[in-house]
Amino acid sequence: MNVKKYILILICLVTQTLVAQVTFEAKVSKKKLGINERLKIEFVMNQDGDNFTPPNFAGFNVVSGPSQSINRSWINGKSSFSKTYTYTLAPTRKGTLTIKNASIEVNGEIYKTIPIRIQVTNAVDKPLSNAEYEATENIHLVAEVSNTNPYYNEGITVTYKLYFKDINIGLRDLNLPKFNDFWSQEIKLGNAQARRGEFKGQTYDYVVLKKTILYPQKTGKLYIEPMSAEVAANIPTSKFNLFGRVYEKVNLPVTSARRTITVKPLPENKPATFTGAVGKFEFDVLVNKNSLKAGEALEARVEVRGTGNLKLLDLPALSTPSALEVYDPERSEDVSVTGTGMKGKVSNTYVIVPNYKGKYPIPSIRFTYFDLETESYKTVRSIEQVIDVFDGPTNSNSANNNVENTTNNTKQEVVGKNQFRFITTSSKFTKMNTAQFFRSTLFWSLLFIPFAILPIFLLVTKRRKKIANDIAGNKTRTADKLARKYLSTAKKNLSNKDAFYESLHKSLHNYLKAKFAIETSEFSKDHIKELLHQKGVSSDIITSFIELISSCELARFTPASNDTMQQDYEKAAKVINAIDKQIS
Amino acid sequence: MKKTIFLAILFILVSSFGFSQQEDFKKANDLYSNDKFEEAIEHYEQVLDNGYQSAVLYYNLANAHYKLNHVAESVYYYEKALQLDPNNEDVKNNLSFAKKMTIDAIEVIPQSGFSKMFNKLVGAFTYNTWAKIGIGFAFLFVVAFIIYYTAYTVSRKRSFFVISLFSLVFMLLAVLFAYQQENFVKNNNFGIVFAKETSIKAEPKQSSNESFKLHEGTKVKLLESVDDWYKIRLADGKVGWILASDIKAL
Repeated sequence: MNVKKYILILICLVTQTLVAQVTFEAKVSKKKLGINERLKIEFVMNQDGDNFTPPNFAGFNVVSGPSQSINRSWINGKSSFSKTYTYTLAPTRKGTLTIKNASIEVNGEIYKTIPIRIQVTNAVDKPLSNAEYEATENIHLVAEVSNTNPYYNEGITVTYKLYFKDINIGLRDLNLPKFNDFWSQEIKLGNAQARRGEFKGQTYDYVVLKKTILYPQKTGKLYIEPMSAEVAANIPTSKFNLFGRVYEKVNLPVTSARRTITVKPLPENKPATFTGAVGKFEFDVLVNKNSLKAGEALEARVEVRGTGNLKLLDLPALSTPSALEVYDPERSEDVSVTGTGMKGKVSNTYVIVPNYKGKYPIPSIRFTYFDLETESYKTVRSIEQVIDVFDGPTNSNSANNNVENTTNNTKQEVVGKNQFRFITTSSKFTKMNTAQFFRSTLFWSLLFIPFAILPIFLLVTKRRKKIANDIAGNKTRTADKLARKYLSTAKKNLSNKDAFYESLHKSLHNYLKAKFAIETSEFSKDHIKELLHQKGVSSDIITSFIELISSCELARFTPASNDTMQQDYEKAAKVINAIDKQIS
Repeated sequence: MKKTIFLAILFILVSSFGFSQQEDFKKANDLYSNDKFEEAIEHYEQVLDNGYQSAVLYYNLANAHYKLNHVAESVYYYEKALQLDPNNEDVKNNLSFAKKMTIDAIEVIPQSGFSKMFNKLVGAFTYNTWAKIGIGFAFLFVVAFIIYYTAYTVSRKRSFFVISLFSLVFMLLAVLFAYQQENFVKNNNFGIVFAKETSIKAEPKQSSNESFKLHEGTKVKLLESVDDWYKIRLADGKVGWILASDIKAL
């Protein structure tokens, strides 16, 4: 019965435990920790479950685990069961991290833990734990900075050294710092070798863990984050056993101190050619050939050599005559990083193809850097180079244009052997700044003198002509007058026969003289006849004229009556009238 | 007696002046032939310092500068030579060589065919030469007209009338061209950039923004000047201000 009773109770208890609530929870050792610290997380359940699924621990590295432990106990007749999965985690970044839920399956049901928020802060100096005192005294992680007050872009080195004394150490979990606001390049170290050095007045062994060259990219206060690591050290204790001294193993997290760097800005008086180079440099423009044929290629290299921020500087651009065809440069770097900084050379190589014959200067270009030794800007000039293109077409179009342009290059006519021509050896010189001739008084007067001459000339010739004309006119006029005068005298002398005919005779000749401007007194009658005929006088009038002349000549010797004299006078008047009409 | 001495002295003075120009010029040419360009330049400049000039002198001086790779100087003196002798083939040829040394590439706005021809015609002579040509035609006109007026035969009259008419037209054209050319010269003051590299500002102030850069040997048109600054225009139409010390007016 008693046994029965126990069995019953047992069954009851078992069923009770079966029925009892399943607990599954996550426990962390701390909710706030430094990035250099560790976190222990336990997933505890009071029932044996299956399919344990851990969270993915984003933001943490799993240092160890999972380790499983099962705990059964009977206390005062009460049995308890617990199963624990333990992980050791190391945070990988700062900030608030969340460990998500883990899950377990118990009797077909899935249980989950509550997510846990963990705050990860900067590396902290851990409070000393009693056993680690010795280790902390003898192990130091130090960040050595070559220069805490550099110029902007001046290279500084940070060396992380682990000093230790009289102990064997092993290193785990190096937490490499990040260098924000710096351009950094790690210096490769060989195998870590322990060396002997002095630290705080005592002799230590040390190992260089990391060496980095930094170029500050900001001015002002910059921080170098501490480095943290875990050191496994065998600390000798005061105990001794059979084999000698007893060593205690200690895992000691170590961190270097945070270093502050004050970066000085570069002086304000930056030359225009300064492109950010800080250090000590040499500068050159190198051309691989100085004379070549058109169409061949040459290389021009803009090169900076020396120590300093070689990888960070801009090379000055090459300026070339526009007539040259220049291709985009190719940058090449040959830089080694040493303890003192970057050393080597950086160059831009331009490929240049001249198309036309001629001389092309590659002008000197300037490269300015900040010299850290003298703390001043220094400008280096390259030497001007002249490229002689000795064979090839010349571009003859350029003479008319201001500067050659590329459109001209399409017009590559076959140009004769155009050479640079020799000087001219003879010259006439004129006085400089001679007064302007155009629009000067001399100019205007010279221009208008001919026009002034012209009317004067015309006037003079006209007058002279007039005078000449007058001589003839006078002659005819006087002749005409005489003719009329003698005719009228003849009329008066109608009573006197001799005087009448003489006057008539003179009158007739004077008339001819006036009309034709010829002396006719010497002429024979046949001559007069012919002359009148030529002038187009009708023959009966000519006959009458001749009859008049002959009667004048006859009348001197023969007597004539008053009647015939009267008739002759009228006849003369009539004939003169008729000739007048017929000629004019 | 006094008069003859005076005349003799005057003659010697005048002839020695002329003589010294030729002497320097000849010496410079000899130096040039022996590749002593610096000394040649000195002697050429001596002639200029004495107040004499010629297209040939400028041309030779520019050649010497070219040989020494003086970009700006050679361009400058070639342009000077072209001012005195706009159609000299030698100068044009060598100027094209000198211009290859310049850095700046400036696109030239092309002229229309007619204005190009017109400019070429007008630019064939300096305006003083055009003025002289005009005077020549004026005299020709008058002579031809007088011959026409006094001639007796019809054929003579006709031909001389035509000649006089054409002379009159040509005279007017020559004077017109002289005006045109003078106007062009007055409005086209050019300069050559002498600074290796200079920044052209948007305003005539040192603090002003840089519009663009120019290099030595580039020919620019000078528009106006304010204090130590010239307003310039490039062949492609760009406008800006340049420090007067960086440029030399032609």
